[in-house]
Amino acid sequence: MNKTISITINGEAYQQSVPIRMLLVDFIRDVAGLTGTHVACTFEGVCGACTVHLDGEAVKSCLMLAVQADGHRITTVEGLAVDGELSILQKAFNDHHALQCGFCTSGILMNAAEFLKVNPRPTEAEIRSALVGNLCRCTGYAHIVDAIKEAAGRAG
Amino acid sequence: MYPAPIENYVAPATVQEALKALGGQAAGEAHFIAGGQSLMQAIKSRLISPRTLIDLQHVAELKGISAEAGGVRIGAMTRYRSIAGEERLNGAYEALRDAASHVGDRQVRNRGTIGGSLCWNYLAACMPPTCIGLGASVELLDTKGEKRTLPAEEFLRGPLETARKENEILLAVVLPGAPARSGSAYKKWGLVTDALPVVGVCAFVQIGDDGRCRRARLAVGGLATGPRRSKAGEEALAGVAAKDAEAIAAAADRAAASTEVQADMWADASYRKALISTLAREVVSTAFARAQARRAA
Repeated sequence: MNKTISITINGEAYQQSVPIRMLLVDFIRDVAGLTGTHVACTFEGVCGACTVHLDGEAVKSCLMLAVQADGHRITTVEGLAVDGELSILQKAFNDHHALQCGFCTSGILMNAAEFLKVNPRPTEAEIRSALVGNLCRCTGYAHIVDAIKEAAGRAG
Repeated sequence: MYPAPIENYVAPATVQEALKALGGQAAGEAHFIAGGQSLMQAIKSRLISPRTLIDLQHVAELKGISAEAGGVRIGAMTRYRSIAGEERLNGAYEALRDAASHVGDRQVRNRGTIGGSLCWNYLAACMPPTCIGLGASVELLDTKGEKRTLPAEEFLRGPLETARKENEILLAVVLPGAPARSGSAYKKWGLVTDALPVVGVCAFVQIGDDGRCRRARLAVGGLATGPRRSKAGEEALAGVAAKDAEAIAAAADRAAASTEVQADMWADASYRKALISTLAREVVSTAFARAQARRAA
């Protein structure tokens, strides 16, 4: 019922015996104590709030078991800033007021950060399409799209 | 939401190890997990409660697309992300790119696989009708080492049902060598952008020197009976010229009229038929255009 796993999160190695049924998002929040990764829909995998990077790719950490991440590298929103300095994307979110309540923000940042690596010069339509998997109920998305657009410009 | 307790988890590195793990379990107690984008929902909602999970993520031989003159082979663990970006599918098998690039969202496409989708055969899924429409076959291997190949349309049965036996693993989806002047397309309609399809339609056409349809395949998804070919629609496309919008519309109407549809909370029966007709018209026109582009090249 339990299995010992090793997961590297934001460069730090965590080795722990966990129930096989434990979701990756619960490992991140409860075992590693990194509560920047959020849980909203809890079951369907439709809200995107729990998005993290698995070996550099955006995935929903509620649609995986922690044991499936054994031996893998995870990055969470806490891992975006370098030496306390916010990333270009995070700064753009700040500048454009791309969050109100902030609940969805960490998932959107993680999705957008990988999206911009795959597509560094996106059109607005591509940005909007990339956000399909993240629900935001405050902003109406307009400022989020603006922030991502500006981050793409600044990074180049 | 937590899954019910799971007793064992194994992550084999080869197909042989995966089948050995499967063979060591009593029937129905073990479940393969591919990308897990549907299965984890089913496990969390306790629609299924496997005692053992066999995770296929490390089985390298199940991943990747190889395109050769004899056809295209897509490993069962190939992700939507890879299929969506595979330019060698353009033309004859471009419907797969259409379908894969709009499954769920980009996080789902980073994990979800073609084999997982086919083995789950959810009612509202894009891969099942697309594979039927393209005339794909599936390769299965059992715990005794017996391999079999069968057409996707025989493999895929009613929703959540397939012809896969308890002791088999899906190895790959195989597409036949693409005939010259052939094209395909897939399109779905859902309640919101990139939503699960209420209806999805895949068309494949091959045209002759005269620009007329020599061979057509048309498949519909989102049906309570499971994904189905529309043979009436295919017959109505025979000999139709690529530019003949009226004949294409008539064939699309035939496909809709002859398909048995259900009414549910997303669409009543007549609306579902209107969707089939509209989508069929679009995908057949796109498939013709792609077949013609290949002729010019």
